[in-house]
Amino acid sequence: MAEARGTILVVEDEPEIRRFLRSSLGAEGYKVVESPAGQRGALDAGMHKPDLVIIDLGLPDLDGVEVIRRIREWSPMPILVVSARTQERSKVEALDAGADDYVTKPFGVGELLARVRVALRHVRRNGIGEDLVLGESRINFEKRVATRAGREVHLTPIEFRLLGCLAKHLGLVVTHRQLLREVWGPSHVEHTHYLRIYMKQLREKLEADPVRPQHLVTETGIGYRLVADEP
Amino acid sequence: MSWPGYRWVAYGGAAGATAAATLVGLAMRPHFELVNIAMVYLLAVVAVALRFTRGPTIGASVLSVVAFDYFFVPPSGTFSVDDPQYLLTFAMMLGVGLVVSQLAAIVRAQAQVRARLALDAETERIRNALLSSISHDLRTPLAVICGASSSLAGRTDLSPEERRELAQDIFTQARDMSELLAKVLEMTRLESGAIALQRDWAALNEIAGSVLRRLEERLATHMMMIDLPAELPLVRVDSVLMEQVLANLLENAAKHTPPRTLIRLRAQASGQVMTVSVEDFGPGLDEGELEHVFDKFERGGGWVSGRGGMGLGLSICRAIVRLHGGAIWAERLPGGGAAFRFTLPLEPPPEMPAGDCAFVNG
Repeated sequence: MAEARGTILVVEDEPEIRRFLRSSLGAEGYKVVESPAGQRGALDAGMHKPDLVIIDLGLPDLDGVEVIRRIREWSPMPILVVSARTQERSKVEALDAGADDYVTKPFGVGELLARVRVALRHVRRNGIGEDLVLGESRINFEKRVATRAGREVHLTPIEFRLLGCLAKHLGLVVTHRQLLREVWGPSHVEHTHYLRIYMKQLREKLEADPVRPQHLVTETGIGYRLVADEP
Repeated sequence: MSWPGYRWVAYGGAAGATAAATLVGLAMRPHFELVNIAMVYLLAVVAVALRFTRGPTIGASVLSVVAFDYFFVPPSGTFSVDDPQYLLTFAMMLGVGLVVSQLAAIVRAQAQVRARLALDAETERIRNALLSSISHDLRTPLAVICGASSSLAGRTDLSPEERRELAQDIFTQARDMSELLAKVLEMTRLESGAIALQRDWAALNEIAGSVLRRLEERLATHMMMIDLPAELPLVRVDSVLMEQVLANLLENAAKHTPPRTLIRLRAQASGQVMTVSVEDFGPGLDEGELEHVFDKFERGGGWVSGRGGMGLGLSICRAIVRLHGGAIWAERLPGGGAAFRFTLPLEPPPEMPAGDCAFVNG
């Protein structure tokens, strides 16, 4: 095996899931550190300074959200949350507390590895200087220009801001609350319908098929995810 | 029996019954003895006792005595009583009123107990059906998983291709089991009332888009046609649950029709409701199935059934749609095929932010 691609801390109480994560992440060249509980996990994050943390929300000793808060007090390291379906509320809570993305249990290895890659890449390429490419559409935030199939598309200031906010977290989910706060301000965090209307407008302007969007993806009950074409 | 306004209705009913008895009595007077007219009043008291509680019954008894005395007992037109016999009649009328109201109360209580017992029996029956249905639907995937994984672990003579196939079988079956488990949990939560709707403004197009993405693989065998007008109004729904409704309906259509069958998702808004339909152009439903497809554990018997699957999906749909104040039903399409439609109430649209120059049309 070549040199490790990075260290991943896995905070998970189920030994079988830890084993499966260790084997699949290890096979991809990551070095895996394991914590069986929340308290330990928060400490291990400080001790090992991993490149990424995977944390199960259903830990026995300490709420996963609390572990995320403790890590966020001192570090912006990417955090990936693992949780069951039907737990949308705790996912949103974890994301609002600073987690970067989530995978829903049960998940396949492919899905998990894709999320890990996006979260790690996000750290390295933290800027939106180059064009954002979404299928036929290209957006340049510096020049404030958007085109689709070579023809200019007019985006309003709010549409630019919304798209910019999603692009800042390219490939990662952004909660309704985060988007509303960043685009419209803290007094509008409950106004989800703003997002519905503006996302619809953005999709009509930028997506080939607005009903089946390939880039401005809805995460029902949670938020939105901007998926760009792989470079 | 103590809803607001009950007192008014009950005592009004008592007064009305007495007045009616008086009118009947007045009509009878030329031809009948007074004792018989007293019977009419008794009838009124009994009627009140059967319909209402004790208070109004006593009220009706007293009123009857007073009215009987005033209108009929000589000298009529006064409250005085010539013949002391009538005092006994009065006492009897009061007594009968009390006894009947007591009996009626007992009968009502028994009826309630019986209804609760019947409900318990029904719950028990559903629980048993659920258990047998779940264990049946879990047995096949578990058998596959046990067999395939023990082969993978124990046999050394498998080709890479065989190993990959076995692993793929385990994955598919485990995923189906997980879906089934999620449905059972969801139904349990819906039934126990543990779900509080997280209602918020949502766009149906968006929910549909998310479902189609989630079910891409499973719907790949069929032809999908999406007919959602861009100008559909926003709805105030729990999007996670609404996504589940659409997912269950689409999955259901794909499961019960042959591959390459056309499935159409449509929605339209008119007046106060939005109607959403999932139509398929498969073999359709029998007349009897239209009523019962939403009942738990009803499998599409006459449908072409590729994969097993209990009818939990549709009853989840019904529970969710009802929670939202809508209705859901199944129809047969004229040219064959089935349509599942549900309605959602529309609310006045929310206020939009001002001041973004391109916000022209919603």
